Amino acid sequence: MSRYMLNKLLWEVESDNEHLASFKQDPAGFVASWELMAATPQPPYPVGGTLTAEERQACITVDYAALYSMGAHPYLLWHFIRAVLVPDLMTVEELSDALKQAVAPLDRPGFTT
Amino acid sequence: MAEIVLTLGVPHTPLLWGLTKPPIPDDLTGVVAEYARFRTMLTEARPDAIVLVAADHFRQLMTANMPAFLIGKAPQMRGTHPNEEREFGIPPANVSGDPELARLLLGHHELPTSFDFSFSDEPWLDHAFMVPLLYLTPDLDVPVVPVYTNCNAPPLPSASRFADLGGYLRTTINGSALDRRVAVVASGHLAYELGGPRQFLGESPDAVFDDLAVSWMASGNLDGAVAGCGFNRLNDAGNLTFQVLNFITALGAAGGRPATRATGVACRFGNEPFFAWEEGRE
Repeated sequence: MSRYMLNKLLWEVESDNEHLASFKQDPAGFVASWELMAATPQPPYPVGGTLTAEERQACITVDYAALYSMGAHPYLLWHFIRAVLVPDLMTVEELSDALKQAVAPLDRPGFTT
Repeated sequence: MAEIVLTLGVPHTPLLWGLTKPPIPDDLTGVVAEYARFRTMLTEARPDAIVLVAADHFRQLMTANMPAFLIGKAPQMRGTHPNEEREFGIPPANVSGDPELARLLLGHHELPTSFDFSFSDEPWLDHAFMVPLLYLTPDLDVPVVPVYTNCNAPPLPSASRFADLGGYLRTTINGSALDRRVAVVASGHLAYELGGPRQFLGESPDAVFDDLAVSWMASGNLDGAVAGCGFNRLNDAGNLTFQVLNFITALGAAGGRPATRATGVACRFGNEPFFAWEEGRE
């Protein structure tokens, strides 16, 4: 369940230009309001869910090594960090090099949903 | 009588679209030339419709509801999502569907016994559909039946089901009284990684796998392809390599015969796949 919510947050930030702008302006504020909404069962999502403290922190700080280790889906992970960090903070090439350096020493986690 | 007039397997690396405008970078000229060759093949085959087998990349489909195989039966579809326009520069577009052909594949009132397809009246085509269409039919003037396959969100259908899907497409289309010349186009990757330590290497993350995959298509080795595309082997080749499974569907749709053209074109993104099964040619 938790990995689903993690992927869902990455997805909803990256795929919606307004969400992306809100996240970039105030990551902690966006995640707090998103979690409030996500925890409330509403059609067509009847259960709702939450992030763990570690997941929340990794999202807010865009800690890609941590997100990778948690089994965030790599496609969603890459597009999330690219959308949030490029071009304001670095180039695609710089981000790619940084990601590869950060995750190379880590075990290859499963990302089965 | 409906008939499959051409079967193709092509790449959809989204950054290709923005990069292959003049002046074309040296390493991408081979990809552009191959896509031009395939466009000519498709034009000469004069298809009335394209059955386009591709995987959504969490653009429309998320794991709240993730179908294994889904057929779009809408008369009109949107192409390209806003985040793909933003990140890849792929233009938004409208694409015509072919509901009659889609309903044939869905079995009309009752799904075929061999496949429990999902279906959609509102498919929204992502780059895996749009990149091949933009290269092959730049005017988007051939109606499309999108066949979504889950190659991205494990648990995935097994390789043998992708082969079965190809066989089903061939049997159903070629056995139909519908008046259609149909091109089957599969969209995918060879070895490919994103969001992991082997992304953007400037070459394939697993050239050994790529050579194998090309050889399966070139020799018409459907059994070998199925046996060689287990989950762990594909994941070892790169975390997005699962989209090679769509080429197994293409091979099945071509009746498991050797491709008339099969190549992996080397470029900065790895080896880009180009497979063709032309009818009436060995």
